[in-house]
Amino acid sequence: MVLKKSTENKSSKISNKVIALSEPEKGKCSLENASTTCKREVDDGAPAENENETMESMQPIDVGEIIKSVYLTVEIDVVFVGLLLMALCTRLYNLEEPKYIVFDELHYGRYVSLYAKGVFFFDAHPPLGKQMLYLAGQMAGYDGNFTFDRIGSPYTESVPVKALRIVPAICGSLLVPLSYQLMLEISTYQITAFLAAALVLFENCFLAQSRFMLLESIQILFSLFGILCVLKSTRKKNIASVIWLCFGALSLGCCFSIKYSGLYTYYLAIFLIGRQMWKRIDQTESTFKLCLSALWRFFILIFIPLLVYVGVFYAHLSMLPKAGPHDSVMTSAFQASLKGGLASITKGQPLHVSHGSQITLRHSHGRTCWLHSHAHVYPVRYSDARGSSHQQQVTCYSFKDVNNWWIVKRPDQLSLAVSNPPDAIRHGDVVQLLHGITSRALNSHDVAAPVSPQSQEVSCYIDYNVSMPAQNLWHVEIINRESEDSTWDSIRSMVRLIHVDSGSALRYSGRQLPSWGFHQHEVVADKVITHQDTIWNVEEHRYTKAEDRRERERELVSAEMIPTTVTQLSFWEKFLELQYKMISHSPDAPQGHMFASEPAEWPMLVRSIAYWLSPNSNAQVHLIGNLVTWYAGTISVLIFGALLAVYAIRQRRAYVDLPPYAAQKFYDAGCILFLGYWLHYLPYFFMDRTLFLHHYLPAYIFKILLLAYVIDHIFYILCISEKIKPFTHVFILCITIWMAYVIRTYKMFSVLSYGNMDLTEFDLLNLRWKDTWDFILHKKN
Amino acid sequence: MTEIKKNRSASSSNNKIWWLTFGILCGGTLLTRFYKVLEPDHVCWDETHFGKMASWYINRTFFFDVHPPLGKMLIALSGKLTGYDGKFPFEKPGDKYDGARYEGMRIFCTTLGALIIPLTFLTMWEMTKSIDSTFIGTLLLLCDVGFLTLNRYILLDPILLFFMSCSIYGVFKVRSLTDSGLEPFSTRMLCWQLYLGASLACTMSVKFVGLFVVLFVGLRTIADLWNVLGDLSKPVSLTIKHLIGRSITLILWPIVLYVFFFWIHLTVLSKSGNGDGFYSSGFQARLEGNSLHNASAPRVLAYGAIITLKNHRTGGGYLHSHHHLYPAGVGARQQQITTYTHKDDNNRWQVRAWGGAAGAGGAGGAARVRSGDLLRLTHAASARNLHSHRERAPLSPKLLQVTGYGEDGVGDANDVWKVIISGGKDGDEIQTVRSKIMFVHYLQACALTTTGKQLPKWGFEQQEVACNPNLRDKNALWNVEDNIFDQLPKMSFEVYASGFLERLFESHAVMLQGNAGLKPKEGEVTSQPWQWPINYRGQFFSGSAHRIYLLGNPVVWWANLAFLVIFFIVFIYNSVREKRAKAFGKKIQETGDGDGDGDGSLLNAAGWSCAGWALHYVPFWAMGRVLYFHHYFPALVFSSMLTGILTVYLLRNLRRYLSQELGKTAYQCAMGLVISTAVYSFYLFSPLAYGMNGPLSNEPNSTMAGLKWLESWEF
Repeated sequence: MVLKKSTENKSSKISNKVIALSEPEKGKCSLENASTTCKREVDDGAPAENENETMESMQPIDVGEIIKSVYLTVEIDVVFVGLLLMALCTRLYNLEEPKYIVFDELHYGRYVSLYAKGVFFFDAHPPLGKQMLYLAGQMAGYDGNFTFDRIGSPYTESVPVKALRIVPAICGSLLVPLSYQLMLEISTYQITAFLAAALVLFENCFLAQSRFMLLESIQILFSLFGILCVLKSTRKKNIASVIWLCFGALSLGCCFSIKYSGLYTYYLAIFLIGRQMWKRIDQTESTFKLCLSALWRFFILIFIPLLVYVGVFYAHLSMLPKAGPHDSVMTSAFQASLKGGLASITKGQPLHVSHGSQITLRHSHGRTCWLHSHAHVYPVRYSDARGSSHQQQVTCYSFKDVNNWWIVKRPDQLSLAVSNPPDAIRHGDVVQLLHGITSRALNSHDVAAPVSPQSQEVSCYIDYNVSMPAQNLWHVEIINRESEDSTWDSIRSMVRLIHVDSGSALRYSGRQLPSWGFHQHEVVADKVITHQDTIWNVEEHRYTKAEDRRERERELVSAEMIPTTVTQLSFWEKFLELQYKMISHSPDAPQGHMFASEPAEWPMLVRSIAYWLSPNSNAQVHLIGNLVTWYAGTISVLIFGALLAVYAIRQRRAYVDLPPYAAQKFYDAGCILFLGYWLHYLPYFFMDRTLFLHHYLPAYIFKILLLAYVIDHIFYILCISEKIKPFTHVFILCITIWMAYVIRTYKMFSVLSYGNMDLTEFDLLNLRWKDTWDFILHKKN
Repeated sequence: MTEIKKNRSASSSNNKIWWLTFGILCGGTLLTRFYKVLEPDHVCWDETHFGKMASWYINRTFFFDVHPPLGKMLIALSGKLTGYDGKFPFEKPGDKYDGARYEGMRIFCTTLGALIIPLTFLTMWEMTKSIDSTFIGTLLLLCDVGFLTLNRYILLDPILLFFMSCSIYGVFKVRSLTDSGLEPFSTRMLCWQLYLGASLACTMSVKFVGLFVVLFVGLRTIADLWNVLGDLSKPVSLTIKHLIGRSITLILWPIVLYVFFFWIHLTVLSKSGNGDGFYSSGFQARLEGNSLHNASAPRVLAYGAIITLKNHRTGGGYLHSHHHLYPAGVGARQQQITTYTHKDDNNRWQVRAWGGAAGAGGAGGAARVRSGDLLRLTHAASARNLHSHRERAPLSPKLLQVTGYGEDGVGDANDVWKVIISGGKDGDEIQTVRSKIMFVHYLQACALTTTGKQLPKWGFEQQEVACNPNLRDKNALWNVEDNIFDQLPKMSFEVYASGFLERLFESHAVMLQGNAGLKPKEGEVTSQPWQWPINYRGQFFSGSAHRIYLLGNPVVWWANLAFLVIFFIVFIYNSVREKRAKAFGKKIQETGDGDGDGDGSLLNAAGWSCAGWALHYVPFWAMGRVLYFHHYFPALVFSSMLTGILTVYLLRNLRRYLSQELGKTAYQCAMGLVISTAVYSFYLFSPLAYGMNGPLSNEPNSTMAGLKWLESWEF
C-alpha cells in the first residue's frame, strides 16, 4: 500500500521497501481498492471517510484487518523503523550522563523515592507519569533511599539513573515515527510526513526533554497517539472505528493522567469526533443509526479516559499507604487512614464528642492549624491605636501543642468528668469550650479583631469586672450531618461554631498576628458564616476522667493513646478529597524564577532554561529549541492563518481554488494541527503562575507538524497549477538547503542537550545567538 | 396591557402600538428610577471613591486610579455644573452629606442609568422587529431590582452601561442599514457609524471592560462584511468600501476620541496630588507643586555629584539609608539600605569613582559618568558606601543583602558597582531623569534592586533593597532624579518632562500594573463568577437604618439562567433539524407572521444576544484580579434580551400545536402571566433598592420576611 503512494507521487525521493507477509490476493485486492479510490476522487471528490477506507495503516498489526479477514497481515515500513532507530540512537546515547540531578529530576526523583517507600505525598499533578518512572526504577531495583536534595548534586551508585531515565527517552524516541505516522494521515505526500518526523528528530528541545526524568515526552507521546487513533477512527467505519476510538480514548486518558495540560488534547479529540458527527448529519442516514453512533462514540470518549484516570488514582492511593511529610495538606480523616502518623494517635479514641470531651479542633480546609490559646493576653493598644479587650489570646497554631486542647462543656453542668453513658453533643446544641491548660472559656464580643477589624475578636474570657460580660456560648452546627440530631463525631464531623450572642462564626482569618501573638494565625468571629474557613473538625479526642484540675492537666500533658482500630475511608472519599485539594492547591512556586518566561516569548524562543551545569567544567544542559525550525514553525502558523482567510474569502465569492480532495485535506489539517496548536498554547496566557519554556512543548509538536503540512500544501499547489510549476524545483532546493541548515543547527546545539562536552567561553558565545539567552560560565579561579 | 396583546401583530406599520409600548416603558422607567433618588443622603458604597475623584478633578489635583478617566470626568463635570465645590471629603461609606451638593451628580448618574431602558427597547426593536419580544425583554430589565440599585448612585457603572447600550443600539442600527443596501459612504450610514465609534470610545474610556463591547461590535462588523461579501450580485469593491468606511469610523475615530479624553484628563489634573508617587520623575515634573516642577539640574551625571536615585518600578521609592543597623540575625550587622517613598535628606548619595576617595579627574571637575564605569555610591549623611556581600537579604532568601559599609567613604572591594544604561551602549553619558540605569555589583555580579516587600518594624516599614543575581529583574532599573553638582551648567526640568504621548503610555502602564495588582489576599471573601448568574450573594450599598442591598430580582435572574440553557437546546435542535432537512431535501416551514420577524430572525437575534452575554461573562473566569458582583450587569442586559426574544419564540411555536382560536387565547394568557410575574416580583423586592429598615429578614417581624429565598442573601 505504501507502493501506491510512491507510484502516485513521483517526486517522492525515498524508495520504500515493503516487506509484506500477506497473501498475494490480499495485496491485489488493496491495489484494486486504491485504484477505485483514485477514480472516485476524480468523479466526485468523495469525503475522506470513504477514500481513506483503504489507506494504509502501518501499524505492525492492523486490528481492523484481523477482524475483517482471517489473514494476518504484518507490514513493516522501513521508513518507520529507520526513524525509530535513529531516534533511539540520539535519545538513548550516553543516557546515564550526566550523573547528576538535572532540573526537575529533583521533584520527580523525590516522588519516585516516596513511591518506592510507599509514603504518601501530595502533588498538584496527577500521578501516572511518576508511576511510570517508578516502575522503571523498581525493575532496576531502586530502593528509594537516595535523597534528592538539590539540582546538581551527584547520584550515588545506588540510583539506577539509566533505568529511571529510560521511560521518557523511549517515549521521546517513539515520538519521531509517530509524527511520521500521523502526518501520513494528514499530508498529501509521504515525503512531507518523513520531513515532519525529521524535524522532530532534529529538534533539540525534544531531545533534551526526553533524556531526563521529566514527563513532557511521555505526555506528548500519549497526546499524539490519541489524536492519531481518533483520526483513524473518524476515517473508518463500523468495528474498526470503534476499536481505534477505544485506543484513542485510552491514550488520551493516560495523557491527562500525566499532566492536566493533557486535557487540551482531550478537548481536541472531542472536537474532532463532534466534527465527524456534525458532517454525518447531512447524509441520508437514518436518524436512529446516527444517534446511536453518536452516543456510543461519546460514551467511549468519556468513560474510558475517566476510567483510566480513576484507575491511576486507585493505584496511586494503594501504592502509598504510609503517612509522610505531606500529610498535613489533607484533612484529619484522610491522615488517619494512613499508616503511622495521625492514625497511630487517633486509633482507639472515642467517636462521639460529649460533655467533658477533651479535643483538638483543626481548621479543616486550607492551611492546617489547630485552635490554640496560651497564657498571654491581647495588647491593650494595637499599633494603629485601636484598643483590645486585653483578654487571653486565641489563635490558630500550625503545630501540635499541648495548648491546642479544649474541653467541651455543657453550660448548665459543672462536673467535667464524662458520665456513663457519655452525654453526646448533637447538632444544634449549645456548648462552651474550655481551654485545657488555662481553663478559660472561648469567648467572643463586640471588639474588633486585632488584624481583621471588620470581624469580632475571639478570646479566652478573663473577668476584669469592667461590665464586659462573658459571651461564651457557642452553637454547634454540623455541616455534613445525616439527620437533624446527628452526633458530633471526632475526625468525621465538619462543624461550624456559631457564637450565640452575635450569630458570628468562629473563623480562621488567614492573617498572621504580629510578634505579640508569636506570628500565629488570627482567629475571629465573622458575620459571613458560610465561608469555608469557618469549618473545623475534631482531630484528637479523649474523655476527661479526673475531676480535679491538676489531675486534668497532668492527663493532658501525658496523654498517650492505645491504638486499637484504624479509621477507614473508602477509595471514593479519598479520591474526591484528593481531587478537591489538587484543584484548590495554589502553587507557591518562586515568583521571578531566573529562567521563567512568558507565553508571549515562546514563539520566538526568547528564553531558554538552564537544566544543569557540571560542577567541574563548563559542560551544561539547557532546554533550548532548534532556532531554525522554531522560526520556520512560527512563520508557518502565520502562513496557514493567511491561507485560511484567503480561501474562506474566495470561497465566499464562489471561486474554487482547491479540488475537493485537497480542500478536505486542508481543512482537516486546520482542525487538527492549527487548532491543536492554539488549543495547547492560548490557555497559558490566562494562567496566573510561573511558566517555563517546557510548557510550550505540547503545543510545539503540533506546530512542527503544521510546518510540515504547510510545506506539503505549498508543494501541492506548485504541482497542480501549470503556470508556476517550474518553481517546484526551486522550492525543493530551498527546502533542502533549509533542512541542511536545521541539521547543522541541531548538531551545534546538541552539546547543550547531552551536556557531555566542556565548553569554552568562546564556544558559549558562539552558541549565544540571542542576547536574551543566558548560558552559565564558571568563574575562572 | 391587554390592548397590546390584542394587537399582537408586530408589523412595523402599527405605529400607535409601538409608541404606546415605548411610552409605557419610558414612564415606568421614569417612575422607578427617580423615586427616592436622593435617599439615602449619605455616601453609599463606592461613592466614596468616585465622589473623591470628582472632587480631585474639580480641585485639579493629580491622582491615580485603575480606570480610564471619562466616567469620573463626567461625574466631576455634572457636579461642577450643579454647584458642587469639591470640598466634601467622601471619607467612608455612611458619611452624611450635610449640605454638600451631591444631588446633581447623583441625578446625572441616575439619568444615564435610566436611559439604558429606552435604548434597550430601541436595540431590541432593531434586532427583532417584534414588539412582543422587545416589550418582554425591556420589561425584564426594567423590573430588575439589582439593575435599578446599581444605576442610581455616583458610580461608574451607570455611565458604562449607558455607553454600552448606545454601542449595542448603534451596531444593530448599522446592521439594518447595511442590510437595506445603503451606500457605504452615504451621509446617513457614516453618521450612524460615527455615532457607534463615539459610543465605543466612551465605553472604553469609562472602564476597560468596555473592551468586551468593542469585541462584540467587531464580531458584528465582521459578520456584516461577510454578508456583504457573500452577495454575489454586488462587486467586491462594495465590501472594500464598507471595510474602509468601518476602519475609519470604528477604529481610527474611537482611538482619536480615546486619546482626546486622556488629553483632557492630563490637562485638567495639573496640580500635584496624592497620585504623584506612582509616576516617573519626568511625569512628575509636569505637575505644579511637585518639587520637580520648575526645578533645574545638570543634564548629565558627573563624579562628585550628589544625587537621589528613584526606582523605576511603579510606586518605587528612593534609595535610602539611615543611621540604623540591620538587627542581629538578619545578615551582617551593618547599616540598613531601603527604598523610601518620601523625599528626605537621607535619600542623597554621592557618586565617586571606584579608585579611591579623590575620584578620577578630581581637578578638572566635570568627569562624566558613562555607562560601563565602575563607581562607588556614598551615602551623603552617614558617609558609608553602598555595599553588598554573600549574605541573605532580610526578606528574600535568594537575593543578597545590601548594606552601608565603611567609614568616611573608605570601604572595601565589595563597594564597587558597575553602572549600565539599560538599552544603551558602553560609554554613553548618564542623563538626569532620562536614563534608566542599572547598578551591577562588580564582584557578585548581581543587580541592585528593590523587592517591594515591606521590612518589619526595625526597618521602619520601608521597602527592602537587595542584590539580585538575575540581571533581568525589572525592578533593577533606577533613574537619577536630583542631581546637585555645581561645576556643570544647570538645565530646567522642563526639558526632562514627559511629552503628552509619553505620559499617555506611562498612564496606561501604571493602570495595567494597578489592575494586575488587585489580587485577592489569602482568606479574603471574594465574589466568584459562578455565583453571579444564580444571584448567589449581593452587596451592601448602605447599612445602618436605611439599608440598601444590591441583589438581582431572583425571578428575572433565574428565568434568564433557564432561558440561556433553553437557548442552547433550541439552537442545537434547530441546526440539526435544518441539516437533516437539507440531507433529505425537505423544506422547513417558518412560523413567521408579519415581515421580518419570523423564527429565523428571532433566533438570529437570540444568537447575537447570547454571544453578547458570553463575551461579557466568560472572560471573567480567566481573570486573576479581585472580582465583584456588579461585573455581571453588562452581561445581564444581553441575558434579559435573550429571555425576551426566546419567550416569544417559544410561545409562538407552542401556539402552532393548538387550534387558531385556542392558540390565540393561550398566547395572550401566557404573555399576561409573564408580564404580571415580572411586575409583581419587582414590587416584592423593590425595598432592596429603595431602602429597608427594621430587623433583618431572618427575623419574623421584618418587612422582608419570607423573601430570603437563599441562605446566602444577607439583607
